[in-house]
Amino acid sequence: MRLSLFLILSVAVCSLTLSAHGQMMFRGNAAHTGVYSGPAPRQFHRIKWKFPTGNRIVASPVIEGRLIYFGSDDGNVYAVESETGRQVWKTKTRGPVSATPAVANGILYIGSYDGNFYALNAETGELKWKFATGGERRFEARGLHGMQPKNQTIADPFDVFLSSPVVIDGAVYFGSGDGHVYRLDANSGDLNWKFKTGDVVHASPAFADDTIFVGSWDSYFYAIDAKSGKEKWRFHGGEDALIHNQVGFQSSPAIENGVVYTGCRDAQLYALDATSGKQKWKFDNQLSWVITSPAVCNGRVYFGTSDSALYHVVEAATGKSLVKQDGGAYLFSSPAVVNNTVFIGVLNGTFVARDAETGKVLWEFQTDASKENKGWVLTAERRFNAPMLFFDNWKEGPLIAQDRQLSVGSIFSSPLVANGTVYFGSTDGFLYAID
Amino acid sequence: MNNFPFVARRRHSFLVLTIVALICFAFALMGMTAMAAEAASALDGRWSGKIQVPGQELILVVDLAHRASWNGSATLPGLNVKGAPLTEINVQGDDVSFGIQAMTGPGVEAPKIQARLSDKKLVGDFLQGGNTARFILEKTGAPQVEEPLRSTPVAKEFEGDWKGDYELLGYPRKVTLKLQNHASQPASADFVIVGRNVNNLPVVRITQQGNFITIESSAFGGLAYEGRLENGEIHGTLLQGPVEVGLVLRHPK
Repeated sequence: MRLSLFLILSVAVCSLTLSAHGQMMFRGNAAHTGVYSGPAPRQFHRIKWKFPTGNRIVASPVIEGRLIYFGSDDGNVYAVESETGRQVWKTKTRGPVSATPAVANGILYIGSYDGNFYALNAETGELKWKFATGGERRFEARGLHGMQPKNQTIADPFDVFLSSPVVIDGAVYFGSGDGHVYRLDANSGDLNWKFKTGDVVHASPAFADDTIFVGSWDSYFYAIDAKSGKEKWRFHGGEDALIHNQVGFQSSPAIENGVVYTGCRDAQLYALDATSGKQKWKFDNQLSWVITSPAVCNGRVYFGTSDSALYHVVEAATGKSLVKQDGGAYLFSSPAVVNNTVFIGVLNGTFVARDAETGKVLWEFQTDASKENKGWVLTAERRFNAPMLFFDNWKEGPLIAQDRQLSVGSIFSSPLVANGTVYFGSTDGFLYAID
Repeated sequence: MNNFPFVARRRHSFLVLTIVALICFAFALMGMTAMAAEAASALDGRWSGKIQVPGQELILVVDLAHRASWNGSATLPGLNVKGAPLTEINVQGDDVSFGIQAMTGPGVEAPKIQARLSDKKLVGDFLQGGNTARFILEKTGAPQVEEPLRSTPVAKEFEGDWKGDYELLGYPRKVTLKLQNHASQPASADFVIVGRNVNNLPVVRITQQGNFITIESSAFGGLAYEGRLENGEIHGTLLQGPVEVGLVLRHPK
């Protein structure tokens, strides 16, 4: 009885959190809590529709009114009808669109690998303005992840996402591969300020209490005054001078009740005091990256890991483990919490719905490419088949291997849940709507 | 009483039957031996062909040789596997099965082959990571089995206890190594790395060439230490997966 009451209250709290912000940006709201309003499918019924694009979709869709908006690595930004999957418009950029858009006041904001940040008319896709950053690039380092030759600078194939914007109070904030965090006037595109970090910023900034929170690949996590662009505090994550594998904030933070939750490539999930930046607790994932952006709801933090492929739920106040389950394969997709259900994509081409309380798998969807399993990218248990992929550490070998990994329709995209339907993209080039 | 000749005839018949049976058995045995020899002879050789993995053809070259017993090696050019030893070779008539000591990874065991000699071709299944694919191999010549490198004895200067430490990904590790010779037999080693856990590393090979020593372990998907003896210390590199880290070993004081 008490449990039932708790669950009802919890659902109400999560839904209230959402309705205060809408679902028009990455992770559902400016604080990036990853919480969406119900209903949500507890059972798999059907693929409502799937929309083809010309290349991989790694970022996430958002919804405003009747339209779903998303970017594709084919260089286009798309608007499709949420009910039918019919294309309403597409607008071409000159690079992969690996970011999640934000929509506010009839304007869609999104970055592209062409180094520009775009504002488009959300109804028509027409360009309103664009802003040239210092240029995009992926995180890179000599001998990255131990790749040979070790004195060669190598771009990180796992740096897949671009920073997704947060729009609030007439300003738009985003990070860039040029190492800056930007604030632009949302209406004109004029630069208000830019904040310099030491390396690529592909995490997506979150906003709370007039502060922008975001991590950089320079190993620091920053709190920046939203109005002035001045640093409030910085937190130092782990370093890895040897192979640059265990360094950098790729995960985007979630803010809840004055606490910042963020994953890091140093294999930690951190809980930081939002006012001081002081570490409250950390959860060690034994050398496995935390790329997913944590979802926070009902005193619980939901996240996944990469190599160890674990799905975790921990207590928000203490970091104590509540649920730890096999996630199947690398988890880069960030969990979406809807009432008592959690949705998350897996890089092996499956999409999973779990019970929020127990973590039990409710249903799974597998892309056709994952079922076909060309070249045995996956084992029979749908884990990545390392001997068939990473057998050559020289030159482009590991890069080709990572490229082949994505041939199974990997789901990097973080799910959007609206009106009882789950939307997500896949590296098979499709945007899926499942109900 | 005139049944004596009958008894004699029965004895005679029994003797004849026994001799015939023995001769038949001998012939059968010879036949089986000959068939086995023929099968062995038929299997002995270099076999080459393609594995039909969905969306990808893999080239497989298998060398099978029968001397006192079966041994062999396999090469998969597309997967960076050259001369990998065959394990658990089992030949039963025209059926052969073996493992390939290669292509292991996290949660993935070494591949296995199950095949049958049919119409001078080796036809069978390649099993890897829980997946199965068909292959057909044809004999292309005599076997060229690659002998695996074997451990050697080590010079007296290398024998004894060694200690060292290094740091990896922010965690300190302590290494202890004990090298022992065994008369004219290959050397053995106790190789222990203590980090957050105590890891007694299974040593698969120790080789010394001049001042250089290499110690290989199957731990962590393959780990090796390569070092050079200089002024009573071994200066070398620990190789673990893609990671190379310097490690100096010294005799404990």
